[in-house]
Amino acid sequence: MIATLMFYLLGAVALGATGMAIIQRNPVYAVIYLVKSIFALALIFYLLGAPLVAALQVIVYAGAIMVLFLFVIMMLEVTPTSAVEVTAPGWVQWAPVLFLALTLVALTLILIGLDPLASEGVPRWHASPRDFGYSLFKEYALAVKIISFQLSFAAVGAFHVGMTERKRAQLEDVS
Amino acid sequence: MDILLTLILLLPLAGGVINACFGKRLPRPVPVFIACGAVIGSFLAAVGSFSLAAGDGYRLVLFTWLKSGNFQADVGLLFDPLAAIMTLMVTGVASLIHLYAVGYMEDDSDQVRFFALLNLFVFAMLTIVLADNLLLLFLGWEGVGFCSYGLIGFWYRKSENAAAGRKAFIVTRIGDLFFAVALLWLFALFGTISIEGINAQVAGLDMTTITLLSLLLLVGACGKSAQLPLMSWLPDAMAGPTPVSALIHAATMVTAGVYLLCRMFPLISLSPTAMAAIALVGIATALYAATCALAQNEIKRVLAYSTMSQVGYMFLAVGLGSVSAAMFHLITHAFFKALLFMAAGCVINLAGHENDIRRMGGMRRRSPLVFWLFIAGILCLAGAPLTSGFFSKDLILATAFAHGDLFHQGLYGLGVVTALLTSFYCFRLAYLVFGGDYRGDELPHEPNGLMLWPLWPLALLGLGGGLLNLPHLFGGDSWLSGWLGREQDILHLTITSEYLLIGTALAVFALGWLLAALRYRRYVHRPGSVTAEFLLNGWRADELFDLLLVRPFKKIGRFCSQGVEIGLIEGVLSGTVRGCNDLGTRLRGLGAGKVNLYLHGLVWGFVVIVGWFLLRALI
Amino acid sequence: MIVPMEHLLILATLLFVLGLGCVMVRRNLIMILIGVEIMINSVGLVLVGASAFWQQVDGQIMVLILMAITAAEVAIGLALVVYLHQQKKSIDVGIFDEMRG
Repeated sequence: MIATLMFYLLGAVALGATGMAIIQRNPVYAVIYLVKSIFALALIFYLLGAPLVAALQVIVYAGAIMVLFLFVIMMLEVTPTSAVEVTAPGWVQWAPVLFLALTLVALTLILIGLDPLASEGVPRWHASPRDFGYSLFKEYALAVKIISFQLSFAAVGAFHVGMTERKRAQLEDVS
Repeated sequence: MDILLTLILLLPLAGGVINACFGKRLPRPVPVFIACGAVIGSFLAAVGSFSLAAGDGYRLVLFTWLKSGNFQADVGLLFDPLAAIMTLMVTGVASLIHLYAVGYMEDDSDQVRFFALLNLFVFAMLTIVLADNLLLLFLGWEGVGFCSYGLIGFWYRKSENAAAGRKAFIVTRIGDLFFAVALLWLFALFGTISIEGINAQVAGLDMTTITLLSLLLLVGACGKSAQLPLMSWLPDAMAGPTPVSALIHAATMVTAGVYLLCRMFPLISLSPTAMAAIALVGIATALYAATCALAQNEIKRVLAYSTMSQVGYMFLAVGLGSVSAAMFHLITHAFFKALLFMAAGCVINLAGHENDIRRMGGMRRRSPLVFWLFIAGILCLAGAPLTSGFFSKDLILATAFAHGDLFHQGLYGLGVVTALLTSFYCFRLAYLVFGGDYRGDELPHEPNGLMLWPLWPLALLGLGGGLLNLPHLFGGDSWLSGWLGREQDILHLTITSEYLLIGTALAVFALGWLLAALRYRRYVHRPGSVTAEFLLNGWRADELFDLLLVRPFKKIGRFCSQGVEIGLIEGVLSGTVRGCNDLGTRLRGLGAGKVNLYLHGLVWGFVVIVGWFLLRALI
Repeated sequence: MIVPMEHLLILATLLFVLGLGCVMVRRNLIMILIGVEIMINSVGLVLVGASAFWQQVDGQIMVLILMAITAAEVAIGLALVVYLHQQKKSIDVGIFDEMRG
């Protein structure tokens, strides 16, 4: 029951954070709000019996992909589409953030403290990391290989596209 | 005999066509010879065939023009006494006027066009006179309208002349419309448009139909004869050359209306209302025109109003039921009015191409010959005793008197007043033009011999024309009435009444002369009074017509052209064009490389497809 | 499962729609890519929910693959954004209209 309640709360947090993300003028703020939404989703994943996926969501999604976004935003020095802030953010900016943040923290603590997965009599299905790993590398081994290829394509592609003119010219001279 | 009759019509037509087609290429005197020869030939043919017309007349069908169902219109000639006398008058006067015109137009460069039109005009007039069915008459009717338009506006390079021609054409057209309606109605009633046929069957109609038909014919006649309310074109028509005024506005076209009414007399005489209407129109016009003539300052305009007035007398005669009185006055008027117009042309030349009588005077000294010829015409017009004008006018007034009832006595009184005014303006004209000393400063332009010789026969005919219909009191036997088969027109009044009438006529003539002499013998320059201005402008009839008819018509035209045409039609079309353009521009925006747009397209397309499938699943 | 599948799907749909809105409305290239991220996130949620529903682990594995692919896509996408920024000095999506006609 608690799990059900938590699911709804987390869902609300995720929706709220996403909503805030999409209306931000400054892309950095949008990314931060999105990270909050990802955290909420990670907790939902855990509630749905996918602890490893939850962890991976935080590590890969929030930790790598969103950080990459931030890198690029800051590299491009993208100005927000409205005037730059002239005043420090007031409580109008902080309130929703605070609310969402506190809710998340509270829910996480509750989750850690109560461990709802063990509180009901009926054994809940969940995929332990061991089951996950077995399935991944036994049945989906080919997929893993292909994914690794793809990641290398991506790296090469990103390297190539992201070259500056100077480096491109240098390359031409070499070949 | 048939050939002679056909030649009456064909010669002027041939002359006109040859001149129109080839005249420019012929050497200088030839077109003139052709034109004059054609009309003189026509006159001789008329003289030759005159005897055919006695009694019931002679019918000749040339060929069938139209035939459809039971509608048949032939080109046929009805040469009855009425037509015969009219033909003689038209061709005779036209010949003299052609000769005059040769002299008048000798310096003009456009002679060929002039004589071609003149010949065609005579042809059209003869068609009116000789036609045996109403459709052919209508053809001639329209023909004279067109030729008069061409002749009045002959010197078209001055826009007033062209405008006068247009005005004549348009105003007479209005009358023609009524005539056409009457024609169609008659065909619907009787199944035939032959004049004899219609006149034979009129007895069976009811009174309202007859009255309405007669009134329609009256309006049609008013148009061509410049009677109220379709009279405003005649004074302006003086913009044409003098021979044109002499021919069209003295002898022929303006009398066509009277002639039509005489032709259809069996029809119109059946309705007392219509007859009264015709008489009223006639006397009203006569009085109106006489008052206007008092104040005119151009010599030809005086004569124009005078024509209007005398044609009013002819209408009055028809309305009184006396065809022979109308025809008698028609013929005598043709003589002396043509004479007056042609003499006026000579006077204008003598005064150095000056039209205004205030700047004339002393013309007697410049050319006594022209003076006496003009005076001959004036005497006839004013009704001097024993001139033709005296007899014809007196016959009309006597007919009015003889009817006896109050209405006709009133008409008689008005006729006497008009005669007084006629005499007055005649002598006013004479004194101002010929009396005293010359007031202008132009040199005379001697009139050509050819301009003077045709005036002699007309003067003689004018002075002696009374013999045509001499009443019994003077020892005559009213030949014209007998010839036309209208013995009922011969009046039988008591001797006292006859002398009373003659005395009144003489008194009126003398009084008019006296008053004119008193006022105009010594010219005193009087500034125009308000009355004079009013009369000068024809009782401001032109302005009235402009207000009532022309301006609303122009407004409608403007509405149709700007409101409907530009606003509505072009608006719709331009609006459609603009709409298509806008649509195209907007659609073009879809093809611009806007990523936003493509994303939107993607999503909306997806929504549509999924929605479609969902709906299909649900319903 | 802790909640009926429908509720999970509703949540995922709402997240998806929010991401779609972000893609359609924003003119900043980076914000569009973020919108795509949100949509991919919601798909991941559905996959995990499905795996919990059917009590099989395949859904979670798909989520892992999804994340890897997302990482690759974001890498190249952002490299492209950098390149476009070099070309036009702006990352307003309305400026890049050379694919017109």
